[in-house]
Formats: sequence, C-alpha cells, structure tokens
Amino acid sequence: MNSHLPIPAVVAAIRPLAVDTSLLTLHTEPGHPVASSFLPGQFLQLSLPGVGEIPLSYCGVPSRDGSIELCIRHVGHVTTPLKSAAPGDAVGVRGPFGHGFPLSAYAGQDLLLIAGGLGIAPLRSLLLTLLKQRELWGRLTLLYGARETGALMFLDELLEFQRRGVIELQLTVDRPGYCINGPPECRVALLPALLEQLALEPGRTCAAICGPPVVYPLLVSRLRLLGVADDRIHLSLERRMKCGVGLCGHCAVGTRLCCVDGPVFSFAELAGIEGALV
Amino acid sequence: MRRLRLAIAGLTACSGCQLLLLNCEDELPELLEQFEFHFFPLACSPALLEGEYDAALVEGCISMPHEKELLLELRRRSVYLIALGTCAVWGGVAALRNGESRELLRQQVYGQSPVASETFEPLPLQSVVHVDAVVAGCPPEKEELLRLLADLARGVLPVDIDYSVCAECRMKENLCLLTERDTLCLGPLTLGGCGARCPNMSVPCEGCRGPVPECNLHKALEIYEQKGFDRTTVLARLRRFCPGWKL
Amino acid sequence: MATLFIAQHNLEAMLERLRRKAEVHGPVRGEDGVVRFAELIHGILPDLSAIRTLLPPKKYLLHPRETILKYTSEAGYQLPSESVPPLILFGLHPCDLAGINYLDRIFLGEDPDPLYAARRSALTLIGVSCTPDEFCSCHLYPSPLKALSDLFLNSVKGGFAISSGSPRGEELLEVLKDIVEERDINVPEDTRRFFGHAVSAQVRPELDATLPEWQELADACLGCGACSLCCPTCSCFDVLEFGGLDGRSAVRVRQWDNCLFKCHAEVAGGMSFRKNRAERFRYRYRHKYRGFGPLQGIPACVGCGRCRVVCPAGLDLRPLAARLEEITP
Repeated sequence: MNSHLPIPAVVAAIRPLAVDTSLLTLHTEPGHPVASSFLPGQFLQLSLPGVGEIPLSYCGVPSRDGSIELCIRHVGHVTTPLKSAAPGDAVGVRGPFGHGFPLSAYAGQDLLLIAGGLGIAPLRSLLLTLLKQRELWGRLTLLYGARETGALMFLDELLEFQRRGVIELQLTVDRPGYCINGPPECRVALLPALLEQLALEPGRTCAAICGPPVVYPLLVSRLRLLGVADDRIHLSLERRMKCGVGLCGHCAVGTRLCCVDGPVFSFAELAGIEGALV
Repeated sequence: MRRLRLAIAGLTACSGCQLLLLNCEDELPELLEQFEFHFFPLACSPALLEGEYDAALVEGCISMPHEKELLLELRRRSVYLIALGTCAVWGGVAALRNGESRELLRQQVYGQSPVASETFEPLPLQSVVHVDAVVAGCPPEKEELLRLLADLARGVLPVDIDYSVCAECRMKENLCLLTERDTLCLGPLTLGGCGARCPNMSVPCEGCRGPVPECNLHKALEIYEQKGFDRTTVLARLRRFCPGWKL
Repeated sequence: MATLFIAQHNLEAMLERLRRKAEVHGPVRGEDGVVRFAELIHGILPDLSAIRTLLPPKKYLLHPRETILKYTSEAGYQLPSESVPPLILFGLHPCDLAGINYLDRIFLGEDPDPLYAARRSALTLIGVSCTPDEFCSCHLYPSPLKALSDLFLNSVKGGFAISSGSPRGEELLEVLKDIVEERDINVPEDTRRFFGHAVSAQVRPELDATLPEWQELADACLGCGACSLCCPTCSCFDVLEFGGLDGRSAVRVRQWDNCLFKCHAEVAGGMSFRKNRAERFRYRYRHKYRGFGPLQGIPACVGCGRCRVVCPAGLDLRPLAARLEEITP
C-alpha cells in the first residue's frame, strides 16, 4: 500500500442528514485497508479530482465490500462542490491514518460518548463498533448536542438504539429551531449542561469526545469535576492534516502531530499544551 | 457537460485584464468548449445582458453612474461575481487621486471644456456589491486567470493566497532588493501570486497586487525609513495601486 | 597520522573526475553577489570561502513548488514519473549536512515520501569544513543530528584532508586515486560543532506564553516568510490541487509553506488555531528547538544562521533559545 497515492473510489450514494450536511457513501476496492481496517476515530483523506483533498473522520464501520461512510458538512473548498456529487462520481481515498479511540482500554468500562454537531461522525463510528460486541462494555451513554433540532443527525438510528435499550441517549440543542416536532426529551441547552445531572461512576467510566473546539474546555472541566481522570478522557482534535502522514507540518499540537499521534488524544497527553483545546 | 455562461465586463480601466483573456490564444479553443462567453463587449458584438450567468468577471473600478448600474445588473444575474485585476479589487490607478477635490481634478484634466459624463470618486467593486473572489494584479497572471476558470468549471472558487511577493522571491533565490540593495521594494507588503515577476528582473516590487493579508505596514515603514524612504514617499508609492493604504 | 590528502590545485581535476560520474553542483557566487548552489560546469570553481548559500540544499530534495500527483479521469491519481539523474553536491558545510540528516529523518521515516526518496538516493554529498561567522550557531545546540556525507573535505594547509563516510564515498575515492595521496598530517578535529552529541533527556517545561519576547517578535515581523523558506530544515508544505481546463485532468502540487502565514493553522470554514503572530512564533520556536511528532526532542536548528541573515527586520531567535534551552556556549 502506498499511503501517498489515493486509490479510486466512486460515490455510491449521497443523502442529506441536515440542511448543510450529507452522508456520503463511497465504494472502493473491496478489502483495501482504507475501507476494511480502521479504528473509530481514525481518518482518511478524500480527494475530489481537480479541487483538492481533505481529512475526514470515518463515520461508519470497516467493511469487506469496499464501502465507506463519511459525514460531509458543505462549508469548505472541497466539501462545497461535494453538495452536488452524484452516484458514480469519481473521487480518491487514502488511509486509514492516525490513532483512533483506545478500544482495548475500554473493555469492561462504562462509556460516555459526547458529540457536538459534526462530532457525531467519529462517535457514530465508535458507537456502531461498540454495539457489535455490546456485551464487552458496561453502560453506553451518548450525549449529543447540535445547533438546532434540524441539525441533529442519525436520529432514527440513535432513537432506535435507545428504544432497544442498548444505549442511553440524551439530546440537546442550542436553540429550538424550526422543527416543531423535535425528538422526544430533547433539551434546549448547551452540550456541557447534559453533564450536570449525569450520574456516573468515574472510576469505571471512559469519555470519548468529539465536537467543535469551543466546547472542549468546559466539557473537560465538568468531567474532571465528576471525578473522571485525565487519562480516561479522550478527545478527537480537528486540525488541517494536509498530508496525513506527518510531513506537511500543519497539524501540530504542541510538539505532537495530530495526523500521526492523534487525532484522538487523551486529555492527559494534552494538558498544558498551548492551543490544544482552544 | 453544459457550458458555463460567462459575462466579461470592463468598467473604468485600461482593458488590459480582459485582453489577458484574449491573449490566452493556446487555451481559447479549450475555453470555448467549457464556457459560453455570452456577454463580452470587448470581444464580441452585439453584447446584451440576457438571462443568468454562472459567473461575471469584472475588470476596473466604478467611477460613473452607468458603471454602477451595469455592476448591479451583473451581480443580480450572476452566481459568482469575480473582481478581475487590481482596479476592480482595490481601485487601482484610477483611484490614485482619491481624497482630492473632484472639481479641481476635472479642471486640471479638462480645463473649461464641458465633460460629457458625470463621474465620482473611483471605487473598488466590493464597495458596491458582494464580490465572491478576487484575482489581483495589474494585470493578473495568465496562469491565475486560467486557474480561476478551471475552478469555476468545477463549481469552486480559487483558494486565497496568504503569502507576500517576498515568499515567492525567496523561493526563486533572488537577490533581495530591499536588504541587499536598499531599494524601495514593496514585496513584503504585497500579495504574492505573481511569482515575483519584477524582482526576478531585478526591478523592485511596485505593489501592483495590493496588500497581503496581515501585512505589517508599521514595521515596514520603519525599515524603509532606515533605508532613506520617508513615510510619505512609501505611502504614495503604495497608493498608486491601492488607495486604501492607511497608517 | 596517515591521511588522504588532495592538494588545492587539484580541485579542478577532482571536479572534472566527479563530472564524469554525475552533474556536480556547489556554491557559486552569481553576478548579483548571491551565493547559490548551482551547476559547477567546466571552468567554474565552487566558492568555498562563502559562509552560506541563500537557499539551503533542501531545494534539491523538496522543490519550492512541485507536482506530487497527476490525475486523469482514465487513470485516476498517479505518482509523477520523474526521472532522477544522479547529482553530486559539492561543498556542503556541516550545518547543511545536518539539515539533510534532519530532512531524511522526516521524509525517509516509516513511510518514505516517494519523491524525496528518489531524489535523495540520487544524491551524493561532499562536505567541506568551514569557519563559522557571527551568525552561525552550529556550535551552540547539542544535537543528535549528524553531518553525514559520502566524502568530507577538511581544510588543511595546501589542500584538504579527504575522508569517506559511505560506500559511495569509497567509490569516488577510487575515481580520484590519481590525485589523492597519503600524507602524514594532523587533521584538526572539528570540536566547535555539536552535531553528533546527545541531547539531554530532560523534558523542557512548556513555553511560557506570557514572555514579552513573543509579542516583540510578532510586532517586528513582516511575515515575509524568508526565515523558514531559507531554513535547511523547515519543510512545512502547502498542498494545492489545480484542475485542468479540460475538466478531466488535474495536478496536485506541494509548495513551501511557512508557519507565520495566515492560513497555516486554518481549518475548513476559516477558523484558525493560531490566529495571532505571537502564537505562531511560539509554534516556530517549538518546531525549531524542540521538534515535532517522531522527531520530538530533536532540535531542528542546525545553526546555519540563514534565518537571521535574510530577515529584513533582523529578527533573531537565538538569544531566546539560549535562555529557554539553557544553552551555555
């Protein structure tokens, strides 16, 4: 495998998840590691020919048939034209890159997944992975916040998991938005507020967080107040990985490189590093 | 594939930026496959605005009421409006004397003879309409213009340049005309993208592409002063292409 | 001690023999006074008195702007098929050799960069000793970097003591054997440079963001990028993709970038993780003196002095480094 060379992939399906976000399903060479062997929290590089390449977290689970699920918010140079992507369109993929969530350390633990906005993408990947072997873990709780009800994604799927009793789900939105029939029991509050009334056993809880950088400091300080140790808090950091393989220098966090040392770091690794959480 | 419909218009300027497009002789056949140059008065007649445009490329600043009308009309009809060249982006040479009395300037140029059309202080496009992307330069680089068109064909806008002429000049391993020759080279303050066209020929950068993002004018003036160029001289030089330079 | 020796007057003959093996480049002073690595064609001798070239030899390994991928709708993305002819770099100072050693550690690591690897293996390095000037700080920073070369020329009276550092160097000595002689000379050990010394394992405390120096540097910086473009170990690059007018082809290029530029730490949507220049200076400092990722703890500064020499504002990180890294000259 040459990690510098994107392999061909085609758009298999694209469906809207929210007003500015789509679920892009790609199809590439079956059995290629970019589709078949990654950990939740790792990322791939998606190329749109003639436009550019961007890092994206995996949003689904590894597949044998070469399919890859990605959550695309159409705000950037590459993601904006992807809005008009259609099945059959040619793209390129390379990966997987970086370090994902530490699944081996999660065995037997209660897991607290905290997703803000688009941060649901890697956490959905983590959740689906955890649910494949539900018996290996203790409590599974997902706290999920978005700008407004219309921006909450994968709701049907998440509510179904909740109905089946395999996860505990708490939802919140910054503002009610225009969706009158919001999901049941959705609060109107900022994401860290969900931690206020949460009962957890800090000694057996691991937190996995992905969201906009602005919520990280508050989430971390709340978790610490609840007694969760720094090495039990894992965060996925967003940086602009241009090469993905530790060469281009764009994604450094302190002296660590997000693309090879991350993008998932434990808070113990990040504490005291300037600019890590801001 | 559907050809993109373009409008290419010139306002107060020398038409050089539009000529740049016509000078892309090698690429014109390919361009005509991808684009319909529907409104391009400099190149084809009759030129009538009609329907909607995927993009309007506008050269020049606005200094007359009918130009403002045309610009608003182009904006209404176009998905993207691109400021093409320094006059459109910053005001350019036509705006050189902005801030001085219009009446006095009129008398200096036309004396007592009547002037046919009403004019006002030249303005860059963005002071009147929303501009989606800019291609600076007097004129811009042909490569940049072609890249813009290739990007438009893919439904994207060009990536912004964040480095100065100095950066490209260093990459070319040129003699530094500022530090080694003590000339008034405006490279450190000027938006890159030209490949250091002038310093490559040992000519100090004239600043034709306007300011680079986050330029440090204060410090640059201090350095120029040490080399014997007072603030007034430097600012006058900078304002030849961008009247917006202020202390 | 018996040492191989080549006389000063045999330098031209040496270059002539090298040219039979490959194109030879070395420091050449141009008509404009700028010293650059350039081809040493017949009749042109390298300027071995010059302390430093404007651009370091990294320009041979990472071009300022280069195509890294080509795309066509038929073939998809492909690595460029670049033929890399052998090249001999002559007259590299220890700092530049250490700079190449640093780049090797980045680009020839676990996952070698194909373009870099191809060019690097085509390169033969011939070093030469030098005398540091007031801008050099090669003797200040203990560093595990090595000034590795295939051949090294140590300046001695009347010529150079010549030693080989690789099988490739041995091969070259074979080519040079009629102009190289064995002599009993004392080659002064180059004690001034720290390359090859171990760095202390001591973990440095985080940089203090409240030091006034960061803002002072930021206020005086023009943001021109010269410091890192001319640095032998700065290798940040931007990646850009340009679509062809035909709508079916594209090229992806990488271009030298600079951590002081506005977009360096921007992510989609325009948010930046290093909005102000003072933060970017800390980033630059951290990279230069403490290293990133797999090279954490390995200072990237080889003390060539280029950043100080080329800065239009005369900025100098050395005094700060001397203090923060507790370097005692």
